[in-house]
Order: sequence, then C-alpha cells, then structure tokens
Amino acid sequence: MERVTYAQAQALRDEELAGLPPIRIALLANIVVNPLVAFLRHAVFRMGFQAQCRIGQYDNVLQAALGSEPGLLGSDTDVVLVFLKLETLSWPMARGFPGLTPDQLQAELERVKTYVIDVLAGIRRQTSALILWYGFERPLYPALGIADAQRPEGQLRTIETLNAAVREALHAHAGAYWIDADACLGRVGEKAYYDLRYWHIGKAPYSLAAVREIADEIVKFVRALKGKNKKVLVLDCDNVLWGGTIGEDGLEGIRLGHTYPGSAYREFQQEVVNLYGRGIVLALCSKNNEADVWEVFERHPDMVLQRRHLAAAQINWEDKATNLRRIAAELNLGLDSLVFVDDSDFEANLIRQLLPEVEVLRVPSDTGVEHRSLLASCGWFDTLTLSVEDRERGAAYQAEAERQRLRVASDDLETYYRSLEMVPEIRLADPLTIPRIAQLTQKTNQFNLTTRRYSDEEISRLAASSTADVIWLRLRDRFGDAGIVGVCILRYEDRQAIFDTLLLSCRVLGRGVEDAFMAHCLQRATSRGCDLAVGEYRPTQKNGQVSDFYQRRGFAPLPGEGNGQRFSIGLPAKLEPPGFFSRIESELVP
Amino acid sequence: MSLRDRVIRVTSQVLNVPAESITDDSSPRTVEGWDSLGHMNLMLALEEEFGVQLSDERIMQLLSVGAILQALGELSGPGANHA
Repeated sequence: MERVTYAQAQALRDEELAGLPPIRIALLANIVVNPLVAFLRHAVFRMGFQAQCRIGQYDNVLQAALGSEPGLLGSDTDVVLVFLKLETLSWPMARGFPGLTPDQLQAELERVKTYVIDVLAGIRRQTSALILWYGFERPLYPALGIADAQRPEGQLRTIETLNAAVREALHAHAGAYWIDADACLGRVGEKAYYDLRYWHIGKAPYSLAAVREIADEIVKFVRALKGKNKKVLVLDCDNVLWGGTIGEDGLEGIRLGHTYPGSAYREFQQEVVNLYGRGIVLALCSKNNEADVWEVFERHPDMVLQRRHLAAAQINWEDKATNLRRIAAELNLGLDSLVFVDDSDFEANLIRQLLPEVEVLRVPSDTGVEHRSLLASCGWFDTLTLSVEDRERGAAYQAEAERQRLRVASDDLETYYRSLEMVPEIRLADPLTIPRIAQLTQKTNQFNLTTRRYSDEEISRLAASSTADVIWLRLRDRFGDAGIVGVCILRYEDRQAIFDTLLLSCRVLGRGVEDAFMAHCLQRATSRGCDLAVGEYRPTQKNGQVSDFYQRRGFAPLPGEGNGQRFSIGLPAKLEPPGFFSRIESELVP
Repeated sequence: MSLRDRVIRVTSQVLNVPAESITDDSSPRTVEGWDSLGHMNLMLALEEEFGVQLSDERIMQLLSVGAILQALGELSGPGANHA
C-alpha cells in the first residue's frame, strides 16, 4: 500500500490525468478540508480516473444544497462529500455544553437535525450522486467530565443521538452513506488527528494524517461505486497461512494453532474465511509440492481455512505471474479483480512489475502478528451493499468447478447444457431486486454492452418510469442458484426499444442464457408496441468479447455516431430462446 | 539532496511553480498560488518532508523561502542538510 507525501499528491497535474474518465466530486463543508482534495485526486488517479473536484464556499452548506452555487451540484455529479463540524454548526453543543438548559439543548438538537435533513433533501433535489456524509466526532473529553458518560443528557450521548439522527436521515435516501468519523479518529489517535494550530489559523481542524485516513475511507466508497472493488483473494501458503515452510518444517513443524506464535496465523485464516463469507473468492498460489499443501488442509487440526473455501489453486514451481494469470482465466475474472498476499519481497515485486493491475499485500515473513490487521484494514473488497448473491458467491464458484467437470464428461455442448437443468427466470425490477441490479451495473465489466453505472436511486427511477423497463435475469441449475446475474434496461422512444444496458455476470457466461434473456426482452419490446429494437455497444478495455454480440444475433449496424456502435433489428424478431433449458420462468409478456 | 533543494522541490510541487523561478525572496507577494490556503498547504507539506512541527507563531512568520530555509536549518540542526 503505497503512501504518497502531501507534496507528491499536490504535484499531480491535470495534464497527467488527461483522457481518463472523470469522477466529479463536490465538497460541501463548514470547515476547511481542502488538503483532502489532493489525496483524493491521487488515489482516484491510481484507480484510473480523473477526479474533478468542486469545492463549495466555506460554511455555505445549506445554501449550496438549496442551489445557491450554480455548477457545484448537478446531474453529472458523481460524489457529494459533506463535512459539517459540530463546532461550526452548533458552538453551544460542541463547546458550551454545560451552559445549555434542558430546553435550550432540546431546541438546539432539533435545529441541527432539521438542518441536516434540509441539507440532504436539497442535495438530492439537485443530483442523484453518491452522498458521503462525515459524522460528528465523539467528544474525547466530554463537557461534564467523568460524570458525562453516565447521564443520558450528557454531551457524549447527545452527540450519539445526533449521529443516529443523521444516519436515519441518510437511510431515507438511496445512495446516501455515513462515514464513521470516530473510526477515523480512533485509527489515527486524537493527538495526531486534530491539528489545533490550523484549526485556529485557518478553520482547518484535521492533520495530514487525519485527512489521509478520511481520504482512504472515501476512496473505499468510490472504488465500490465504480466497480473497482476486488473480488478474489489469492494467498501464498508458507508464512502466510501458517508460520514456517511446510516442505522443510513438515506438518508438525509449521506454526499454526491456538497459542503463540501459531495463533497469529489462525486469526489471519479466520479473517480470510470471513471474506469468503462476504462473497470474496479465495484461491491459492504457492511454490510448493502440491501434496504437501493439501496434507496441511486435510490433516492439520487447526486449519480454519478449508479446501471447500477455495475456488482455484496453483501449487507448483512456476512463476507466480503465470499462475495468477491462470487463476484469473479459470475464474473468468480480470486480473484487476485480484488481491495477492505474499510474504516474499521477490514475489511481491514480481507481481507489481509484471501485473500492475493486481493489488499486492506484502505481509512480514518472520512474524504473523500483523497479518490479520493488514488484511482487515485494506478495504479493497468493500462493496456498498451486501446482497445474498455476495454471501453465496464462494459456493457458486465451487459449483462452477463441478459444472466444468461435467462439461468434460458430456459429449457435446448441447447435451452438457441439457444436463445442467438450467432454469432462467426473467422479470421486471421491484424494490427487493433493485439493489442487486444497481450493484451489477456498477461491477460488471466484461459482458457489459454499454458499461453504464447506476445507483440504487437511478435504477428505482428507471423502474418506475413509463418509458423504460428494468428487467433482470436469475439462473438456477442442478448445482444451485446463481441469483440475479443479468440486467437489461430498455428505454422506449417512438416505437423503438433501445437497449440502454445489457449485462451478464461472468459467473454464467458460456451457457446460452444471454440468448434466452435477449429473446424475452425483445418479446417484451414487441408487446409494448415497438417495431424496432436498437442495441448499442460502447467499447471499453474489458468488454471486447461482446463487440459483435448484436451482429451475431441478426442486428444490422446503424450509421456510426460517437465512439459507440449501434445496431437495429425489426420487431417482432425471429429470435428464439435455445431449447436446452428445462424451462424459462418469465412474466414479461401478458 | 540539500535542505535548499528539498525546500524548493516541495514549494514547486505545492504551489505549482517552476523550481527555477524560486529564490530566497519568493513570497506570497511574488508567487501567485501562495495565498493563505497555499501557505497552509506549503507548511503542511514541509513539516511532513522534514518530519518537524512548526509552532503556530512560526507558521505565521515564515512568509518567504528565505525565512523557511533559516527556520528549517535551525530546527533540523547542524548537518541536517544531508538528513
């Protein structure tokens, strides 16, 4: 995890960012948090984007939310950051607390809550951007001293109440999230977090260390929003999953267990399994004799990580770059979905040089005590929401491995497809399915014809619109339920159905479901009175595999415009779903 | 790298001016981006670069590259040029 200095972050010039897709960030604050911008620009640049930051006037938050600063918030804004420091918002509650009568305190609480609600509503009226709201810090030396925390009307609980009210207000809006200031404060430590000099000189309360931490936290949200969150954790074995070298120390010699020093590796394994529980796909990449490693998995009593958690393993003596490429190919995921953990500088640097898109977590080789916290704090896997699909993904990849074995056993593809007993389900979006649909638009890169990213709120609006349909695809087969794995958004204009979005999760590629999905979406368009369907392909670095998707299904190219390509087909179209599905459940056409 | 070179590099990076144009006399009067926000950014970056903490009083006085060089020289002590 590379640390840039403040000067280096500041030195990043606009010219270096030219050509990168923009992320438009608006900052509303009643304090000076400008140093945040440099760190955000740099972190977002490393993610492959150009941050365009607009900073609202100092302490003009409500006015700006109500539209007093044209150009600050708009339909093209991607992220709105809100920093309201209690010292500026309510001096009495922050610094003059003992002087407040109960009535005054109640009135002040209500005033601040209303202010927060009005700011949020105002921002939402202007933009559907992701809203990130920095909470109020807890007072570390509360106003009433040691008695404060004992009393419901103390300053500590008052501010907790306020934070709860903010969270509730955020919860009422889609795409609005709370950043836990106390977490940032706690990680950095009070002395290092506040910069009292600049608080007084320039209303800038936070040190560089604090601003870095806050930027890191914001970046986790941006990464998730842009679908750049990691999906696979690839682990070295020796000195990562256990202490020592299995090939030399043997099953009895490696360090792994309930007491020091093996306890550190056991804790790390638990953290790895926790990630599995969040839907992160796990794999091994180790230079070892394969049998030695599997012996640890099968015979060591203190292994928390089990073989069933693993979706892939490359245990051999070849170079790790080759092995990581193999793992990505086997899982049908891009290399930029991978996080690689290793204790060797050589391996870490090799991967950083040869496969820069892979994030590398280098852990110490002589001790395991920091392993767990290094993994837990990285934030690379974080997503905005956790869906059922996420939690079951690990098992889904295992099922995929089963399917591959069956494929080898089947004579031809058609027989194989039939043997899977697949049941696609195709329906219109409803409140229950909207978060997963939005998540798929944010995360899907390969089988994604237009790569348009949508928030929950935007999907809700499209689903409610009379001139659009949001359609989802779910797939079940004899090995399990893959959940919602496909999204199609149709926009209707003058008897034309336009494929605004068409995507499929990589978990179900190569099984013919796209044809069933397409056929049903076209039927839907026909039933809504359209006589033409228009498909669009917007090329990205990732979606080359679908460049000829429409042509292969009988669509004819339309004269070119912009950098996308458009194709059309007359309706009703002669496109039938393949015959190898057990059945198709769909209610799209009356 | 000497203390002077490091100060000039950081000043150039933070205030977005060519290193060649920076002299001891460079100050908020002669450098466009050196306003109050620019000053804060410069002080924060220099503190990080040299691993020092300036007092609030010092911060308000360091209004030229010459003054910065002198203060950092004193703070870092003799031989700090090669620190």
